[in-house]
Amino acid sequence: MKRVKLLKLATLGFAAASALAAGVGAVDTPPSIASPAPSAQAALAPQFQIVAMRRITEAQYRNTIADIFGPDVRVAGRFEPVVRPAHELIASGAREASISPAGLEQFDAMARGVAAQVFDESRRSQFAECQPADATKADADCAGKVLAPLGRLLFRRPLSAGERDFYVKLAGDSAGQTGSFYKGLELSLSAMLDSPNFLYVVETAEPDPANPGALRLDNYTRATRLGFMLWNSTPNEALLQAAQQGKLTDDAALAVIAGRMVNSPRFEQGLRAFFSDMLLFEKFDELAKDPVIYPYFNQDVAKALPEQTLRTITAHLLGKGGDYRALFTTPNTFMTRSLGPLYQVPVHKSAGWEPYQFAAGDDRAGLLGQAGFLSIYSHSGRSSPTLRGRAIRELLMCQPVPNPPGNVNFTAVQDVHNKATPTARSRLTAHSTDEVCAGCHKITDPVGLSLERFDGIGAFRAAENDTPIDSSGILDGMHFEGADGLGKTLASSPDTTQCVSSRALQYATGLGSEDVSPWVEALDKQFAASGYGIRALFLKVATMPATWQVKAAPLDQGATKISYAGQRR
Amino acid sequence: MMRIATTTATLAALLAIGPMTGGRQPLASPAEGETALAKLPAPPANGEMGFVVTHFVQPVIQGPDACPQGTTPKLRDAYLARQTPEERTRLLLKENETELTRSWQSDVIGPNGTNICSQPDLFENRTPLRTVQSKMAWGMDLDGGGRGRADSCEHETFQTPTGDQGIDNQEYRVMGCTLEWRGVDGIAGDQEVGMRQFMVSGEWTQVILLRGVNSLVRDDNVEVIYANTPDRPTVDSMGKFLPGASFSVSDKPPRNRNVLRGRIENGVLTTDATDVKLTQTWGQGGARDIRGNRTKYDFRSARLRLAFQPDGSATGMLAGYRPVFDVIQSPALGGIGSAVVAGIDCAATLSTLRKYADGIRDPKTGKCTGVSSAVRIQALPAFVNDPNTATRTAAR
Repeated sequence: MKRVKLLKLATLGFAAASALAAGVGAVDTPPSIASPAPSAQAALAPQFQIVAMRRITEAQYRNTIADIFGPDVRVAGRFEPVVRPAHELIASGAREASISPAGLEQFDAMARGVAAQVFDESRRSQFAECQPADATKADADCAGKVLAPLGRLLFRRPLSAGERDFYVKLAGDSAGQTGSFYKGLELSLSAMLDSPNFLYVVETAEPDPANPGALRLDNYTRATRLGFMLWNSTPNEALLQAAQQGKLTDDAALAVIAGRMVNSPRFEQGLRAFFSDMLLFEKFDELAKDPVIYPYFNQDVAKALPEQTLRTITAHLLGKGGDYRALFTTPNTFMTRSLGPLYQVPVHKSAGWEPYQFAAGDDRAGLLGQAGFLSIYSHSGRSSPTLRGRAIRELLMCQPVPNPPGNVNFTAVQDVHNKATPTARSRLTAHSTDEVCAGCHKITDPVGLSLERFDGIGAFRAAENDTPIDSSGILDGMHFEGADGLGKTLASSPDTTQCVSSRALQYATGLGSEDVSPWVEALDKQFAASGYGIRALFLKVATMPATWQVKAAPLDQGATKISYAGQRR
Repeated sequence: MMRIATTTATLAALLAIGPMTGGRQPLASPAEGETALAKLPAPPANGEMGFVVTHFVQPVIQGPDACPQGTTPKLRDAYLARQTPEERTRLLLKENETELTRSWQSDVIGPNGTNICSQPDLFENRTPLRTVQSKMAWGMDLDGGGRGRADSCEHETFQTPTGDQGIDNQEYRVMGCTLEWRGVDGIAGDQEVGMRQFMVSGEWTQVILLRGVNSLVRDDNVEVIYANTPDRPTVDSMGKFLPGASFSVSDKPPRNRNVLRGRIENGVLTTDATDVKLTQTWGQGGARDIRGNRTKYDFRSARLRLAFQPDGSATGMLAGYRPVFDVIQSPALGGIGSAVVAGIDCAATLSTLRKYADGIRDPKTGKCTGVSSAVRIQALPAFVNDPNTATRTAAR
């Protein structure tokens, strides 16, 4: 009986918390909770205005739960993905990401699971410093002492008095009906985890004293941005305190704090998230290869491929403090037993990763010689110079390539057994005789064909259909040979460093490439001055005024009102 | 970073002079597996070659002349054969099936929970197994023509289909007419299929590491590490081994790191006689750990012969003497199930093996306690780490 009541209450709490905060700036009170209950809506001071909302990603959700409640608290459920806008980052897509009813159900299930673990008997003492007078009854004083600090960590700012009262009342109502103080806390916590104040980063701005009439992001928003940008997790206690003390709008203090963050070991987690976004690593989630054509491909390999690339990146850029450009030429990487056969190299350790160095001049050097890049930019049964060339243009050089028209005849490139066109080069040559196709293929194929000595899973091959592979390539007028030559050409291209500079700024702000373009050239110059060090780039991004300026109009100026049912009115 | 260059030459056609097992997949023995010198892989630059063993199974030569009376009867059939024709007919009636089952099974179950496979010595005077009658067997001449040396006993010898004489393989003589080994004529028996599955599962992965290889044509001094590894092999979706994987020789007991000395002549490595011990693991989920009951291959005075193939693989044989009980290790561990389900007469098998024992002479009794044996080996290039020397090697 109590279970039924709790479920009803939980549903009410979930609906209330979600709906109350859904519009954040302008929300109607849902009719079903039109009682004089306290509101969960943050009371913003008049000078603060909401300027953006960004949905947190799955990784950010998981990292946040681990940071606040401990890594042993399990998050079980399916996350509705944030949709990536064409040619942009997921971080940009997060600004426009909504949550469907089905997605919200998943978030609610996860929230209940997390809350149940947090307040189970084995853990509750870590989060509940006070003891209720009677564990079978409500205790508003103790509930407030438990929920307010958790709310501050989850919403990344202190709870308003209204919010505090709301969650305390929710806990009290539940405790009364379930006969358990802790069940009340559990319900309240799950309501917080369902709240848009948690699922979205609500960015607020304040008048910029240096630019009268303009806005700048406020301290708590800055703390959140720093946390997610540099560590891919919620701001920690130190950041929240810095925000409370107003340090994050002080340039000197901000530089010290950001400098500490980029030099922290936790920056690796942030950098992994950045490059996973920049290099479209979500593609690994759907990576599938024909096991008959590629016997070396299996689930262990699929799992290891993105990790190999991320380890290569972080070891080079952070471990060695290496030049970003050398990512395209570095002979150093990491291996596991599962990857060894694909690369046909020895691996000492039976389990785990170990460093590996390719010989000088080996075509494997650099990120583009790695099976991760080569396999995701291939088809399930054949390589694709076009996909690879396009990925290099778009992801590494920030040069968008148009999609092919809908009526393309792909027969020539798909017929891999035609003796007249035994290699991808010959097939693409035949395909590109169509002038409609030739325009784009000129952009992509001369680049991608240099990687043809690696098949659709990135395994080395010298020939295709018994015909030796020509791996010569051309990029922006530069002729080169193989992946090694491509890597060197990219390393010398100014487009690659400008691209990563642009991506870093987009990643921090959630803005699109066009929006950040006015600052990219200057940022790239400072990147160059640092020797193309990634820490220096992110430190610069974290401290440059453009990161904290507000371009967009506040969301609540004539904002859409969202009803309880979520329907626009 | 040590790599051994291997040839990219096309796979030489393996001569198949009569299928060794099953007939579905003719496999080369060392003799017929020899590679023309011109097609031999280049010797490794660093003198090291690594292999993972993909096939390790006793070879069977199919054909009607090996077991003209058919395979050795199963326990139920053997019980029936001992009955009068009238009684046999009666027992085979459907309504007497329960009686028949109770009768033949009571014949293999002893007092106090004993049974014919767990305690075979308690069951005496069993009918011997049918033995191989043909003159053909794969194997090696371990004792100089079967005349019996100080440590072996006189016996008949076989010859190989390729003409080698004086072949010692008493294990095959005894076991070669069992259904488990021979299968239905022309189709591989359980032994072939089961051993292949064991290898693929990684329950007893074996690796071979050659050191000091300067030439595949002639090299008089090669060190051979023949060992087990806990690492499971890399196989494709069809369960086929893939070359180029890495393995580490076990650094935990039982290590089974056998160090052999050998020489290469015309693309064939042959090692001196020495004892070789390798892990056997019977079935998963057994009593001791997830990989099942663990026993040991114990080859005495064993020799390894490997013929290098143009594609970098190797094919060959391990031959030596095995203690007779080791041959029935698997059904003995299976206990009553081996008898009443698989119908194996462990006591008869053991007594027949003792009768034909030709090696491991007991100095006290003067009797031979082991049988000559041969195991066919196929191996693919692999990177083999030997923690003893922290080296690794493979063909590519």
